[in-house]
Amino acid sequence: MVAPMGQQQQQQQQQQFMQPASVPQFGGARPPQFGAAQNSMQSQQPGYATQQGFDQPQQPVYGAQLQNGQPQQSMMNQGQMGGLQNGMQNMNMGQNQRNPAAPTAVNLLQKAPSVTELETMTPPPNMSAQMSVSQSPHSICPPVYKRCTMNAIPQTQAILTKSKIPLGLILTPYRSLQPGEEPVPVVNPPQIVRCRRCRTYINPWVQFVEQGTRWKCNMCFLTNEVPAFFDWDSEARQQVDRMKRPELTHSVVEYIAPQEYMVRPPQPVILLFVIDVSYAAVQSGMVDAVSKTLLECLDDFPNSDGRTKVGFIAVDHSLHFFNLNSTNSEPQMLVMPDIEDAFLPSPDGLLASLTESRVVIEKLLAGLPGMFRGTTSSQNCLGRALQSANTMIKAIGGKIILFQSSLPNLSEASLKMREDPKVLGTPKEVSLLQPQNAFYKGFAVDCSRAHVSVDLFAFNSQYLDLATLSSLAKVTGGSNYYYPTFNPSNAQDLAKLSTELHNYFSRPLALEAVLRVRASKGLKMSRFHGNFFLRSTDLLALPTVNPDNSYAIEMEIQDALPSAVACFQTALLHTSSSGERRIRVLTLTIPVTDSYGDLFTGADQYAIATLLSKKGVEKCITSNLDSARDEMISRLTDLIGAYKAAFTSSGQNSMLILPENLKLLPLLMMSTLKHIAFRTSGIIPSDVRTFAQALMCVYPTEAYLPSIHPRFWAIHSMDSSCGELDDATGRVIFPPVLNLSSEKLERHGLYLLENGSDIFFWVGRGIAPELCQLVFGVPSYDGIVFGKNALPQLSNDWSKRVHNLVSNIKQLRTLMMTTCPNVYIVKEDSDPNLRMLFLSQLMEDKLDSGNSYPLFLGYVREKMAKPASMF
Amino acid sequence: MVVPIGALYTPLKDRSALGTHQPLGYEPVVCKGSCRAILNPYCQIDPRGRVWNCPFCLQRNQLPPQYGDITPHSLPPELLQQYTTVEYILNKPPTMPPVFLYVVDTCLDEDDLKALKDSLVVSLSLLPPNALVGLITFGTMAQVHELGYNECPKSHVFRGSKEYPTKQIQEMLGLAGGAGARPQAPGMKPGQPPMQGGSGIQRFLLPISQCEFTITTILEQLQRDPWPVAHDKRPLRCTGTALNVAVSLLETAFQNTGAHILLFSGGACTEGPGLVVGNELREPIRGHSDIEKDSAKHAKKAAKFYEGLAARVAERGHVVDIFAGCLDQVGLMEMKKLANMTNGFMVLSDSFNTVVFKQSFIRVFEKDQDGFLQMGFNATLEVQTTKELKVCGLIGPAVSNNKKAPCVGETEIGIGGTNAWKLCGITPKTTVSIHFEVAAQQQVQPGPNSRGLIQFVTMYQHSSGQYRLRVTTIARSFADTNSPDINASFDQEAAAVLMARIGVFKAENDNIADVLRWLDRMLIRLCQKFADYRKDDPMSFQLAENFSIYPQFMFHLRRSQFLQVFNNSPDETAYYRHILNGEDVNNSLIMIQPTLMAYTLNGPPEPVLLDSVSIKPDSILLLDTFFHVLIWHGETIAGWRKAKYHEQPEYVNIKELLETPKADAQDLLLDRFPIPRYIDTDQGGSQARFLLSKVNPSNTHQSFGAGAAIPTDDVSLQVFMEHLKKLSVSGST
Ligand SMILES: [Zn+2]
Ligand SMILES: [Zn+2]
Repeated sequence: MVAPMGQQQQQQQQQQFMQPASVPQFGGARPPQFGAAQNSMQSQQPGYATQQGFDQPQQPVYGAQLQNGQPQQSMMNQGQMGGLQNGMQNMNMGQNQRNPAAPTAVNLLQKAPSVTELETMTPPPNMSAQMSVSQSPHSICPPVYKRCTMNAIPQTQAILTKSKIPLGLILTPYRSLQPGEEPVPVVNPPQIVRCRRCRTYINPWVQFVEQGTRWKCNMCFLTNEVPAFFDWDSEARQQVDRMKRPELTHSVVEYIAPQEYMVRPPQPVILLFVIDVSYAAVQSGMVDAVSKTLLECLDDFPNSDGRTKVGFIAVDHSLHFFNLNSTNSEPQMLVMPDIEDAFLPSPDGLLASLTESRVVIEKLLAGLPGMFRGTTSSQNCLGRALQSANTMIKAIGGKIILFQSSLPNLSEASLKMREDPKVLGTPKEVSLLQPQNAFYKGFAVDCSRAHVSVDLFAFNSQYLDLATLSSLAKVTGGSNYYYPTFNPSNAQDLAKLSTELHNYFSRPLALEAVLRVRASKGLKMSRFHGNFFLRSTDLLALPTVNPDNSYAIEMEIQDALPSAVACFQTALLHTSSSGERRIRVLTLTIPVTDSYGDLFTGADQYAIATLLSKKGVEKCITSNLDSARDEMISRLTDLIGAYKAAFTSSGQNSMLILPENLKLLPLLMMSTLKHIAFRTSGIIPSDVRTFAQALMCVYPTEAYLPSIHPRFWAIHSMDSSCGELDDATGRVIFPPVLNLSSEKLERHGLYLLENGSDIFFWVGRGIAPELCQLVFGVPSYDGIVFGKNALPQLSNDWSKRVHNLVSNIKQLRTLMMTTCPNVYIVKEDSDPNLRMLFLSQLMEDKLDSGNSYPLFLGYVREKMAKPASMF
Repeated sequence: MVVPIGALYTPLKDRSALGTHQPLGYEPVVCKGSCRAILNPYCQIDPRGRVWNCPFCLQRNQLPPQYGDITPHSLPPELLQQYTTVEYILNKPPTMPPVFLYVVDTCLDEDDLKALKDSLVVSLSLLPPNALVGLITFGTMAQVHELGYNECPKSHVFRGSKEYPTKQIQEMLGLAGGAGARPQAPGMKPGQPPMQGGSGIQRFLLPISQCEFTITTILEQLQRDPWPVAHDKRPLRCTGTALNVAVSLLETAFQNTGAHILLFSGGACTEGPGLVVGNELREPIRGHSDIEKDSAKHAKKAAKFYEGLAARVAERGHVVDIFAGCLDQVGLMEMKKLANMTNGFMVLSDSFNTVVFKQSFIRVFEKDQDGFLQMGFNATLEVQTTKELKVCGLIGPAVSNNKKAPCVGETEIGIGGTNAWKLCGITPKTTVSIHFEVAAQQQVQPGPNSRGLIQFVTMYQHSSGQYRLRVTTIARSFADTNSPDINASFDQEAAAVLMARIGVFKAENDNIADVLRWLDRMLIRLCQKFADYRKDDPMSFQLAENFSIYPQFMFHLRRSQFLQVFNNSPDETAYYRHILNGEDVNNSLIMIQPTLMAYTLNGPPEPVLLDSVSIKPDSILLLDTFFHVLIWHGETIAGWRKAKYHEQPEYVNIKELLETPKADAQDLLLDRFPIPRYIDTDQGGSQARFLLSKVNPSNTHQSFGAGAAIPTDDVSLQVFMEHLKKLSVSGST
């Protein structure tokens, strides 16, 4: 049988999702356009100019030993110090040139955006691994851990300001590994080698001097002694090769910390569940589903050292504690009716050893729904519950895991139902996006001090005031999870909850952590984005480290950078869930330049968009949605303007040009503006908006991109390898992604779209009956049931491959953001709301007040035309 | 007055002892006048006119129609002379079943807690199946157990240190309406729960037949208070808070229905309201000398707190029973009003692992021949007198009902100013004293041979749930001031008990020395009035038979633990006095003047003088002080026993000698509540002090004579009598 094929089928290129920049293809497809920059701006061929300003061969040298799918592209290809110095000299030479070799530029107006490039999110090349002391390919910091908006850093703030490129880092230091990825190497040296002066950890980018007896700090240039154990293993009594040490081969490395890094013995894992058991929560099925799921998850709870402790507080108009002492045969419920003067009803048993009290804990979770089935309490005193929860665990620290289904409406920190549809879409909307009282944030600060973090699982279609509640996670390094349409009778909803909770518990967990960020002298951290509490100018307190969360740091150049390479080192001191004190160190080095050409060609459009979206969220809360949107647009136009001013002649005024490596930035910014977090709309409930913004704050680039710019595939025309595993990479092969435009929708087509939180199947009215049968198990279009439905599992190759695609997406999203997307089947003529939900994902189309991509570009050009010159 | 006019009345005295009829299944005939007296054998009946005259208020009343065919030969029981006491079953709908709310201290050591739990579980099986039970446990905090909850053990926890207002407790327990029925917070619209019934008090108090499994499970799993206690601290024990919660729990839902709050206390309250002693061990618990010096810093405040609670409990007709199981004091002195005012059971034992506690506690639930608990609830006792007599008051475990009928006299003795009292709990043994005075001469001049009537009307809830009414009507003739009838009618035993009650009642409020002086004065005056003597000739002093042992009672009363407190702790004093306050004449006399039996090889057992002369090496003595039953072996016999003669067949007589007092002691225990402490000791043993402190010290360490020398400075009975004679005949007072 032959499936109908669309014209896309002709395109032979196969994209593999999450594959690293498929280097040979990529490089091969786009020969660098060296030296022709000035003239190549109108080139229809996408050119990827990487070497301008550097006296280097045209062909970039890619890391030879690519592993783990990390793209390794180098700006410099010579593995000796001489090469670096040589490069630096060249850069210096370019300093006085008014208009250095300009990057290869693209006229945006002429071509649909090349969305296939979004699949790899390849940053512009950076340092060559050959430049590191060990010359190890791992000495390049993988961008999934840490990426900078600029892969060439300007020497001075003046240059930076003029370039209009935001300077910032996106860090995801504790990210979960995707299948096949190699773990971060763990080292347990007799001593952790750090610079005496600036406390930088030794890393692949230091230099050895004085016959290798000393090392020169790449941050402050002090020379330090190389400890003997680098070359001599005193236990084995033999010589060792220091260049094999992970500290010198890997930019991301984890130390087991010695005693002096502990103020107290590493804490055990404490998981304290605070569960809403008010009438609304019980009726919604949340209590039942959560109890059941937690019961299934018990084996996933981190407990490798057997020290994990678990506690529960059930909340309605009073607080229900549970004595889980292993000496009891069943849990004992201790009700605390005096919430205004709440106290802990027992000195022990409220937190119980997961191992010892396992049976009692199981009985509690099995019994919990029954315990509150008959409740009549419509109240919830969350504020008091949180205070008690903190009291319970503050001496140790740990996680408060909050399952909330109703608006806290009793006692301290009760919240008003303030949602007002009339306000949505107006300038006043911002008031709904700001906390309505100071309690939650203040409480969260207290928690942070006590190494307590809060994760919120919110269930309800009714107003919950996430704008206020989400500050709990924000300040304490936690996360928010939101199930607005949770329906316990829908198997997919239950499966989603189950998958997410399983991942939530089984993913790596770091406790009592601090994240310190160091950068070369001259660089100054100015702003931080993400979920944490800023303890000092460069120290983020993270009571627990959520692997999903990334942190963005904006930087300024305070003093001219003296050296040719800037270094950014992040150290995450934490306690692992196995009870070890550890330090994860991430070192990123970036060449310093004074050339605008280098700056622009070094700019990482994905990191820039990620950073601007986070700044946008901040602006929303501190100012309002409109100014956030305006700011994002002006950042874009400023940048384009700066580029234009630097590199174009007057004849090109009608064009909208950007260098190759920034050509998707307008699309990304437009898509960001259309995202629920920023979209101009009067119908987005503030909880939904807030949740989207909260996610935006913590997204790593890899999660941010699909959320603003979904991935879109034609299924009906995919070739037979799609949905199969690629033997070479071990990954599922996807068809090429499509531009997000309804023009792509053919009447007979079947499409798949995913945005990180949802998966849509779009079924064209003219779908071939054979395909209906194969994929949906029904004879025709009419038989397909639309809505939140899983695809049937059918025993045919097509069904299997489509399922492979879906499960691959689910697995990826679960591991990346602990989100298991729901599957929606959308028919061309199905429920209009559902249709709109799908169509609103097509970013290049016009949506409500959001422009289509061409119109957006026109708007941008118009906007740029107005101000005289920004340069 | 030289001796009080009074009656010791046992309202629910076992009918079989009275030889009376079955309760009457109809309503009593009540005088329509303000006295509300009940038709009785002393009423004048005009069967033809179907009229009866009320002897109390002289009201003429119609007889109800069903009395139409009575004749002097066919009278209903209530009109028969032989039935001075009749009982009616009232035609009121039965009350709620009785409530038993257990309030259990968990600051106990493991053995004690185990023993207590066992006893509690056993007690559950003794309750009537419909009885409602509840459970509060306390230590650092107080926990109300929700027995109606089946999913898991569930309790509501109250801070021990806090004095919660009743209303708040009720709100917190969801008793002020539905569960969580507080003012609705604004903003709640969707998903409102339906209001459901069945969420109030019945979550906490359930028929034992329904919750036996739940409460048994909770009791069996009950752990010691888990809060750590430093070595230099007492455990935090919030007895006051637990009681406050218990009282509040019953307060609204159970007004005027039978309810017992059973407190099991293993130590003094050290936390929150009602604190008796701080939790620092270096702070000793108060003793009598501290109270005397007014340096017991918590005593007054605590007593005030418990008295406030007691008033609330009594107001609702509920009872607080206190079971103390502690070597040290638990603060009974501070808490005593709870039991005093409600006629609660009070049992003081060294631990919950003692026979005294275990058996006494079980005895609380004894049943009558019909299988009903031998306790009544929420009783009121009303006394009517004819105009010659006035009611001065009542002494006993009751509170005033504040009913001031015309028969209430000017003088107050005990709980006065009323002719009606409430006895929240009542047993067949509960005995009160009611005190009267003769109406002032100028108002009423009783003629010769005139008869005064007293009617006691007790309404109570029978443990079957029925409301019952007991009516006792007695008539007493009046005599001239100098009539010999007065002498002849003197009941020295009853008089001694009445004097003891008044004395103790005074001692509760006054200086003990004053009370002793008052007793002496009263005794001297009595002797002056009723003894035969020649003025100033002590040798001529003679008392009639029915006065003869009265001075001796007074002698022992003066020496008793009721009035000599310094050898006892304040808790013991409170305990002894509480028991005395509710016992009948016989038991009271044993308390005042213990009995002593002697067992020798020379003859059958015989009662001997409570005197040191009775202490002989070759006898066994059985002392019954009511609170203690002591078997004392003289030196010789103790030696035999040690040599195990009694185990040899040829000395079966010694075996018998040793066994007999034990068997007799067991007989004493049979009918007694609380179970006395049983002591088996030898001459010279440390426990022998119980005997030595009770006997008349006719030989002291300062004098020498027959029998044992008692190390005391107390005067002997002989000396006491010498003084009495001297003072009586001298005419001075
Ligand atoms: Zn340094
Ligand atoms: Zn009358």
